[in-house]
Amino acid sequence: MPSATLEEYLEAIYKAAERGEVRPGQLAETLGVSAPTVTATLGRLQTRGLIERPGGAVALTPTGREAALDIIRRHRLAERFLVDVLGLGWDEVHDEACILEHALTPRVQDALERFLDNPEVCPHGHPIPSKDGAIATQTGRPLAEAVSGDVVKIVRVDDEDGELLSYLASLGMFPGTGVRVCDIGPFKGPLLVEVGTARYALGRDVASKIVVAPDSGPGCLTEGTRR
Amino acid sequence: MSSTCGTDGSGAVIRPDGHPVVALAGNPNVGKSTLFNALTGLGVSTAHYPGTTREVSTATARFGDRLIGVVDLPGSYGLGGRTEDEVIARRALIDLAPDVVVVIVDPLNLARTLYLALEVLDLGFRLVVAVNLADEARRAGVTVDTTALALRLGVPVVETVATRGIGVADAVDAAIMTAAAPLRDVSHRYDDDLEDLISPVIEAFASAECTPGGLAPRGAALALLGDVHGFGPQADAGVGAAADAVRSAMARRYGESAAIHLARERHGRAGTLADEVTVRSGSHGRAPRDLWSLTTAPMTGVPLVIAVAAAIFGFLFFIGDLLAGAFSLAWEGTASPVITAMVTTLAGEGVTSRVLLWGFDAGIEASLAIGLPYILTFYVLLGMLEDTGYLNSLAFLTDRVMHRFGLHGRAVVPLVAAAGCNVPALVAANDLPTKRERLIASTLVLFVPCSARTAVILGAVGHYVGWRPAALVVLILFAQWVGIALVLQRLLPGESRGLVMEMFPFRRPSLRRVIAKAWAQFREFLFIATPIVIVGSLVLGGLYESGWLMYLSEPLAPVVEGWLGLPAVAGLTLIVGMLRKELALQLLVALAVATSGFAGAELTALMAPAAIVVYALVNAIALPCISSVAVFARRHGLARSLVVLALSVALALVMGGVMARLLPALGMM
Repeated sequence: MPSATLEEYLEAIYKAAERGEVRPGQLAETLGVSAPTVTATLGRLQTRGLIERPGGAVALTPTGREAALDIIRRHRLAERFLVDVLGLGWDEVHDEACILEHALTPRVQDALERFLDNPEVCPHGHPIPSKDGAIATQTGRPLAEAVSGDVVKIVRVDDEDGELLSYLASLGMFPGTGVRVCDIGPFKGPLLVEVGTARYALGRDVASKIVVAPDSGPGCLTEGTRR
Repeated sequence: MSSTCGTDGSGAVIRPDGHPVVALAGNPNVGKSTLFNALTGLGVSTAHYPGTTREVSTATARFGDRLIGVVDLPGSYGLGGRTEDEVIARRALIDLAPDVVVVIVDPLNLARTLYLALEVLDLGFRLVVAVNLADEARRAGVTVDTTALALRLGVPVVETVATRGIGVADAVDAAIMTAAAPLRDVSHRYDDDLEDLISPVIEAFASAECTPGGLAPRGAALALLGDVHGFGPQADAGVGAAADAVRSAMARRYGESAAIHLARERHGRAGTLADEVTVRSGSHGRAPRDLWSLTTAPMTGVPLVIAVAAAIFGFLFFIGDLLAGAFSLAWEGTASPVITAMVTTLAGEGVTSRVLLWGFDAGIEASLAIGLPYILTFYVLLGMLEDTGYLNSLAFLTDRVMHRFGLHGRAVVPLVAAAGCNVPALVAANDLPTKRERLIASTLVLFVPCSARTAVILGAVGHYVGWRPAALVVLILFAQWVGIALVLQRLLPGESRGLVMEMFPFRRPSLRRVIAKAWAQFREFLFIATPIVIVGSLVLGGLYESGWLMYLSEPLAPVVEGWLGLPAVAGLTLIVGMLRKELALQLLVALAVATSGFAGAELTALMAPAAIVVYALVNAIALPCISSVAVFARRHGLARSLVVLALSVALALVMGGVMARLLPALGMM
């Protein structure tokens, strides 16, 4: 089993890969470490045959993917336990689970899964991989990839501390809510969207955490008829 | 109500004896402040909440023979503690314990704006709903059946057009009547399933000794469960345990956290209500995108942003300058002789009277010469942009660029305005959403050379040395500014929460409202900055007239002469320049005349060209003027102002010293 640090990297690479090609700089940012540290650690992962570096990017090998899913399974089970059993808040469980996940042996994992009544998703809505490494495919793509004129529906909000999700909730945007994309700001700027009768500007960083699926329905309303 | 715990009771409200206190709540831009201004007029005071730079306005208003206390809560979308505004709004509600809350809703956005009304009801307050902007809605073919809404909510609902004062009296009547009514235990219920789940927390609060702010048990329970961060200091262990159990039960039952689920239920309820009471007439369906959407479409919006930024800059730079010149002339012709005569009558013609003239003639003039032409006009300009809803389009389009500096798109307005005058820019920076952004933007504003500093660059370098070196100075300042911005962003902890900003539709600006708001902001500048400018001027005048300033030049000599390569007297004018930045150059020229002994002397007789460049550079960087420091200190405290002042001096010394060596070495001068 890889060390705790390597596990953190595998987890981060897997999650980043869900959103597209993974670059070392991206990992440095997510993990909060310097670029040379990332390069060194990626070297170690490559030596162990867990990752490949096609054209400077980072990709998991089949063994690496298996290891990543294993750690993600432990992380998400731990989160589920912290929320369901201990009653901790959403916003606090991610960091706690990062500590707990490294201590869960396969036996404890199985017991936990039974105790939690075989949960399918973590408290943030992400699927929990099964013991043999199967994972439900995540549908949807980030709202940030939408183009002007798209009509979509929120599938989930990829936001570990729950801050964004709850802020959006106060504006009436939940998983299931329909969103119409009207304009994109210059230089890959914010998105101008309509939700119900209201219009919002959503920053790129925000939009990349909102996962959406195509929806049907009419496009953007106009201001002129509403006011 | 239960007894209170967990609040410090810091809210000071004008509570006229036995008279009701009415709080106004609403989403941003629904006309809440307009209603507040329509209600009040007696004297507005502000309650400053610890740890925030946001203020809650309170006032006493007279209606016929009745007095009411009015509280203007910050505009917010909810009360769940998700943003600073939400936290302050809820805290003010709990601290000030109003007898009734008037929630202002927008008929064209009824579902989302009713959410806040339901949340107020949930907390256990008496409620009146004001359906504002009723005229605009009617023009768009939308009316709200107020009777039906009142029936469904069980509270009074009135229609208002706050900008024209329509319905305001009805709202006050309803509020006064409601304030006297007994408080109901449960105002509206969620479905049985949810109610059953949350009941243990309500029971725990009911048996606790106290509740936060003395809220009813149900209100306290919904506030606690609805808050992402846990709500205030925990009342007691029993409540905490019950809440934890209920949270995990809700998470299991609904597959999402308690706070999210409550928000979802409340939005659902608000949406159903809105559908039931909204009446649409005519075939106001969909039409091609109208003109206003051109402000956010990049193809048309970006040129417009550049035009608007250029207009603000040009207006402050040229028209402001023109007005300031005219004002100074008028001042010298009218007020100045009167003040001079008064001072000389009182204090004779000596050092004392000259010092007094520094403060009461030059000081007041300095304050007004910035205040009237730059600040008042800028507020009117900004108010117009804000009133139409254009500011948000601007923020939308510039967000990406501002992000590099750790700021939102909204920060573009203060930064552009700063090139005209720092003072109104600082006030505009205070509208940014988080404390961190306000601090970054305000600090950056102080390092943008305002028109007075630019005047020195043009007047000294441009006039005596050439336009190329003048352009070089501007370029250096810009590079330095970008550097400061990037360092600040790294230095100040925390990152800006991603942009989530409501885009308001076009609204015809109301000149009356714009002027009223501009005047209120200007009054604040006048009463806060002017006394500081007068005191500062008196101190500077005392130093100058007593000759002590010359003594100060001795310890400064190694720095000014040795390091910067400037004449020692030039260093003094830089310090005096704090009063008004362009004063530095005026004094320097006067000194050049005095030392070289003949009138019309060129500045070059006193200083080498390279020294003039260094002088203008140092003047532009070091020591922002007293007025802007006063406004900065008011928002961010004395300690931070001193840090910024010290930083400005240190940077000026580094840049000036390097330039003093580099320029001759490069043989440019």
